[in-house]
Amino acid sequence: MTYPSPKRRRISQTSDYLSFLSDEVLLHILSYLPIPALLKCQRVSRRFHTLAGDSELWKRQYYSRWVRPRARRLPRVRRATPQLSRLEYSPKVSTWLDHSHLAREGSNTNWKKQYRLRHNWSKGICRVTAVELPQSPQPPILVQFCAGLVFVADSAHGLRVWHADNTNSCLASVPFTNATTQASIVPTSLKATYCSQQNVARIAVGFKSGCFSVYNMDIRALRLKLGLTYTTSTDRAITGMALSFPYILMVSQCNVLSLFGIQTINENSDHNPVELMEKAYILATLKAESILAPMSLSVRVAGSEIIASIAYSFYHIGCGWSIGVQELHFNRGGQQISSRLTTTVDCQYGAIPLRPSSRVSDEQQLSLSSDLYEWPTGPSILHRQPPTSISYSHPYLLTSHADNTLTVYLVVSTTTNLHVKGGQRLWGHTTSVAAVQVGDHGKAVSVSSRGDEIRIWELEPLISYFGTQRILEEKSIQVSPENKQCRKYENFGVLSGVSRCEVSGDQSSSLERSYELDGIRGCIGFDDERVLLLRERNIGNQLLELYDFT
Amino acid sequence: MATPTLVFTSSDGTDITVDRDVAERSVLIKNMLEDLGETGEPIPIPNVNEAVLKKVIEWCTHHKNDPPSTGDDDDSRRKTTDIDEWDQKFMQVDQEMLFEIILAANYLDIKGLLDVGCKTVANMIKGKSPEEIRKTFNIQNDFTPEEEDQIRRENEWAEDR
Repeated sequence: MTYPSPKRRRISQTSDYLSFLSDEVLLHILSYLPIPALLKCQRVSRRFHTLAGDSELWKRQYYSRWVRPRARRLPRVRRATPQLSRLEYSPKVSTWLDHSHLAREGSNTNWKKQYRLRHNWSKGICRVTAVELPQSPQPPILVQFCAGLVFVADSAHGLRVWHADNTNSCLASVPFTNATTQASIVPTSLKATYCSQQNVARIAVGFKSGCFSVYNMDIRALRLKLGLTYTTSTDRAITGMALSFPYILMVSQCNVLSLFGIQTINENSDHNPVELMEKAYILATLKAESILAPMSLSVRVAGSEIIASIAYSFYHIGCGWSIGVQELHFNRGGQQISSRLTTTVDCQYGAIPLRPSSRVSDEQQLSLSSDLYEWPTGPSILHRQPPTSISYSHPYLLTSHADNTLTVYLVVSTTTNLHVKGGQRLWGHTTSVAAVQVGDHGKAVSVSSRGDEIRIWELEPLISYFGTQRILEEKSIQVSPENKQCRKYENFGVLSGVSRCEVSGDQSSSLERSYELDGIRGCIGFDDERVLLLRERNIGNQLLELYDFT
Repeated sequence: MATPTLVFTSSDGTDITVDRDVAERSVLIKNMLEDLGETGEPIPIPNVNEAVLKKVIEWCTHHKNDPPSTGDDDDSRRKTTDIDEWDQKFMQVDQEMLFEIILAANYLDIKGLLDVGCKTVANMIKGKSPEEIRKTFNIQNDFTPEEEDQIRRENEWAEDR
């Protein structure tokens, strides 16, 4: 290491002593700095830019800002590991705190970027990009968001794929064709899922005719290919699907639930020795008489079992609209092992209001006075109207309501038991909530019916407060793209073959824009970096909005 | 009984007598004594001059009864750049001496002193603009104006608001 010898002292007043220090010592100094100072250091010089952007430094900041405070709050973590200073890198806690996906990537994780992403989510800071989809001759236009890709299905253009980062060019498209009749086929349901092992996105499209197709999108090669088409015996439209490859659960207009498996057959043809063929086979089917919309289908593979679940709404005389969860267990051969049913009714009676605000007590009074049936105590969660949407992604069950609230439940599914735990009204929205969507990492996004208010909910802290009287510290975050951080209102991109949407970036016009829109078709989806929303404009066009938090 | 002592020879050739328990605040010296045993000969400290070595010994003497550091990186410690009063006074030296103390603490592996030195520098950085940081430490700005502007925009997200 170079070291200032006594001889060099005559230039002492102008020497850059800091630069004599090794990277290791400089990193030690930087480790004492808060984020704003670190970012200022990055602007000092090239060397400081590299050092103050050091991933390990940011990992420490990330853990001390996002992981450790949560770890401290979770009682079971605290009990299990009294030595808090050491728990942060243990894989078990990492899983529980939903950082496993980051920890797995190991040294490849850019922690500064992750910190910033997390920071933006927590503040609701994002850039919004909107893309207008012209009215299809035959509605609806279906949209799915998966693996950073936007999948759009409609009868005129078939299935098209865009990258969420670049909505200017269509990556791939496949038309929907019917070989036998040549008639146009109308898609009625779309679901996409990402298989990380093969780096393939599977896209299931259900049609009005009752048949469905599965497409495969090779993420690396950006190749979209039809995997299989299955023609069902009914001619009722497929209205809902859930996909957990290689299983598809779907429901048709006549309330028939079907579970399909997908088999890969190795065709040994001379020309294409490695060409794989896929074939769907029916595992189970059942008719559900009492299922009412809105509902949410999901299918997951747990050990040797395939668990198909249907969360649906029904009217309970005591506590109004409630949610039923039916869980069907199948073995891999498609044999039904068990069927279990639970509802949120008990929770709605037993739930303790989180914060006795005036709004809660008003409602309790209302429920007591207007109830025809005398219950010992009125339900603390009473829904007079059916939920506007249901989203169930195990273990979180969320419903959105026209009364500006959401309700969150925790579904507990063990080998012997299925029940719903907790039950908590979530306040935050100031208008009717149109849709809610639960994501992979314990996050949910909800959107108001006019689409002007989007909120982000961290479910895990909410759940850990169930059954306690403790005041919730964390509220939801409102997404605020008009935030001053987001001056960069992008010039709205154009989907190829799609008309351009002219919206200027200033606040007033974006406000007007949200009022001229007359509805929200629902929150299409979100991943770790973005939220995708489909709005319906009153003139019939649909507007796809991407909220980018990076 | 007299306290066992060692003799250090600074880079500029001065011999300084140090109590052994004070000298052992330095992990480098401690390990050396464990490995080689005590020879009674003066120990050369080639990287540290007399003035700095005296300063380091002063710190070690004051802190000789401190509990040994836990060794691992504790986040609560990192959050705070609080320095106790004696150390603050001790660190009221010119920049050249400050950085020489840090280098010496790093070389001799005296964790407590290195921490105090680094915290002192961190406190000098805190709350300053990039230009002020450059001025404080005479750091050459090797960015082009365009690059600097780009980094400023990239890092806008966490400006104090």
